[in-house]
Amino acid sequence: MNLFEPFATPFMARALIELIILGALAGTVGVLVLLRKLAFVTDTMTHTVFPGVVIGYLAAGEGGIFWGALAAGMVTAALLTLLTRRRKVSEDAALAMLLTSLFALGVVLVSRQSGYTTDLTAFLFGRVLTVTGEQLAQTALISVVVIVMLALLRRPLLLRAFDPETAEAAGYRTGLLDVATNLLVAVVIVAAVRAVGTILVIALLIVPAAAARALSDRLALIVPLAVVIGVLGGWFGLATSYEASIHHGVRLAAGGTVVLVLTGLYLLAGLGGVARRRIVRRRAAAGPLDQATAGISTGVTG
Amino acid sequence: MADTAPPASPPDGVPPDAPPEAVPPDAAGPQAATSETVGPEDGAPRERDVTLRMEHASIAYGDVPVLEKIHGIVHPGEAVALIGPNGAGKSTLIKAILGLVPVVRGRIEVLGRTPALARRDVAYVPQADTLDPDFPVSVEQVVMMGRYRKIGWLRRPGRADRTAAAEALEQVGLTQRARHRFGTLSGGQRQRVLLARAIAAQPRLLLLDEPFNGVDAVSQHALLEAISVLKGRGASVVISTHDLAIAHLACEEVCLLNRYQFGFGPAEEVLTPECLRATYGGHALELRGDRVIVAQS
Amino acid sequence: MNWFDSAMHRALLEAALVGAMGGVVGVFVVARRLSFFTMALTHATFPGIVIAALLGINLLLGGGVFGLLIVAGVVMLGRGRGQDFTAATGVALAGGFALGVVLISAQSGFTKDLTAYTVGDILTVDTFDLATTAAVTCVVLLTLAMLGKELLLRAFDPDGAAAAGLPVVLLDLALLALVEMAVVATVPALGAILTLALLVGPAATARLLSDRLALLFPLAAAIGVACGLAGIWISMVADVAAGASIALLVGAVFAVALLLRRGVRRPRRSTALSGAD
Repeated sequence: MNLFEPFATPFMARALIELIILGALAGTVGVLVLLRKLAFVTDTMTHTVFPGVVIGYLAAGEGGIFWGALAAGMVTAALLTLLTRRRKVSEDAALAMLLTSLFALGVVLVSRQSGYTTDLTAFLFGRVLTVTGEQLAQTALISVVVIVMLALLRRPLLLRAFDPETAEAAGYRTGLLDVATNLLVAVVIVAAVRAVGTILVIALLIVPAAAARALSDRLALIVPLAVVIGVLGGWFGLATSYEASIHHGVRLAAGGTVVLVLTGLYLLAGLGGVARRRIVRRRAAAGPLDQATAGISTGVTG
Repeated sequence: MADTAPPASPPDGVPPDAPPEAVPPDAAGPQAATSETVGPEDGAPRERDVTLRMEHASIAYGDVPVLEKIHGIVHPGEAVALIGPNGAGKSTLIKAILGLVPVVRGRIEVLGRTPALARRDVAYVPQADTLDPDFPVSVEQVVMMGRYRKIGWLRRPGRADRTAAAEALEQVGLTQRARHRFGTLSGGQRQRVLLARAIAAQPRLLLLDEPFNGVDAVSQHALLEAISVLKGRGASVVISTHDLAIAHLACEEVCLLNRYQFGFGPAEEVLTPECLRATYGGHALELRGDRVIVAQS
Repeated sequence: MNWFDSAMHRALLEAALVGAMGGVVGVFVVARRLSFFTMALTHATFPGIVIAALLGINLLLGGGVFGLLIVAGVVMLGRGRGQDFTAATGVALAGGFALGVVLISAQSGFTKDLTAYTVGDILTVDTFDLATTAAVTCVVLLTLAMLGKELLLRAFDPDGAAAAGLPVVLLDLALLALVEMAVVATVPALGAILTLALLVGPAATARLLSDRLALLFPLAAAIGVACGLAGIWISMVADVAAGASIALLVGAVFAVALLLRRGVRRPRRSTALSGAD
């Protein structure tokens, strides 16, 4: 399989650049999603953006999609912060209700149009092969904003994720931090959803970070690893999809193939993680001196 | 909860529903064992040397009071143990001192400021087992978290921050574990790391929530040592605990709590069978007339 | 003319069946907080259905078996250190769905099938589908009638169930299998995404309305059936997608119950906290 040949054509090159930017962006934000255990919240947001997409499209055509999605993303980010902070209803059930209700609202709106199945499919799976230069610029701009925000907020966000009580005791406004987290995730979803669709967004936000976590215990490594895995998934996925359809006559949906490659990388990382822990354990067993010092410092003697 | 907390009746002599303004300062709560509760007396440190001042503070979630008429003073270099059964309101009092739970009546002052404004000089140590052991942070990263407020948003940790973190870790005796993942340490070691994080913040008031729960002997010793060093530097310490023996070891003062304050003062004066029986209700058991064993459920 | 010859009649009956089943099974989904997991199940069932269609075997059987394989995978992956259950569930959700998409994209008629799968098409159920749904509903309800007591104990007091000597692992698997059966039977009608509405909404609403366990099941089933029937009627009148109107209705009922409860509970709310430490 050639990893470079497919990207000679401009539309494939644009698709590749879009996926590389998104892979890096979502990989980074995905680590935050992983640390805060926000997978379901993220999934909910990918679906609640849908009515915004539909309303934006109905109001202003293609150009309205982005703004509709952005508005819906902001509203749901705020709603989700409220829902997840008050623990009256089981949070899990509340998320499910928000997800299905808003998605259903989008479906109801879109189902009044004729030929709505195409629109729905585009939303669910995106049109990565028709990405324009303008969209690329948008994605790049959003990425810069999000990365700057993350860099600014990294310490409070880390403390909030690790030890929320102490974060509050130290005077951090955890409510605002939670809103910021949800907004960051929402913005990534909005940036990505038109090009790659909801399923690929959720995959990009969850899979690379989870794979990176399996490979390392150190945050300083997890973030770059997640970025690399996100980028590799996009690249290999596109190349595979192209290869299959041009050289083997099998049409493979580009977005779906990217997700499958990511899932494959995740499984490999899982195996790698098992091997890594074996080695660590064996090394510990091989060094009686290390163990003795560990025993002393633990101070547990029966 | 309900079965461990005895009916919320105040000790003899103090009507439960007496409005706070009707209670003279030195009649709030059972005063039998209280010595140095209020204001500057002869020989007491001067006004500005008070770290924590609680004046008839009532603390409530919504409309229902959790703690009422808490009254006492903690000076620099002193440690006070909060003692009481489960559900007595120990954690709530700590949260109120942090300004996270509102004081509905009376006042809590930290270093002459409201709790929320004093947070930069206050450090909090949570129970280690409330934290996710799988979280990918190293021990030194956790200790550095104590410096975050001083580092600010943009700057990278400077030399002063690194020195403070390293010294704090040294104080709890875990320097050689700096690069290990937090979750790989034993429970007692994790608790020591969290104390090191608080020390790194160079607080003037340190609040510890049940720091000795499930902690091995070595770690308990290390924790007590570090706390006494901190006190030597003039910091005040508030520790909530079940363990009367440790309260005796680490703290000069004891605050007995169970919805109301049942005593505040030097340990040997407050830890009497009468006071403990009053605090723990049916859960106190007397042995040979002078010892009290408190059964925890 | 046979009553079943009308597409409307078949849709109504199907909606009532999946509404009742979703409500009852949902009580456990809500109690065990399995919403996200159920979402992953609905998505992961997809490739199984595609494969079954390719091989020419029963779609429900194919989807069900594949879904159970994914369940096993998630449970295994979620046990790895540092891999929390939600992340593994998310991977299964995205990966399973993508596998279905890729398989189906290799066929022709891509968008049509996919839409039917993602948002469902309850107006096209035939008599055979109805019979299958009815059979699945019976099996699920019977199993719940037999195992309900044990499953409830496991849901509300996991340690107590283990201490009482119940086979907790088997019970968990049984529950997941029941949820999977309900999912497989509901997906053709409501689609992969909106199935979640029927499997969570009625039960969550019932819990808001009543604290009494004995009432939860009939209440949830009644809400499910009512939303199903009313949703079909609305979709006929307003000419909108049927599955979506059912889901929207479920959401609306839940929101109303939430507001009602807030109103009723506010005065009593603080008593629950009075024992807080």
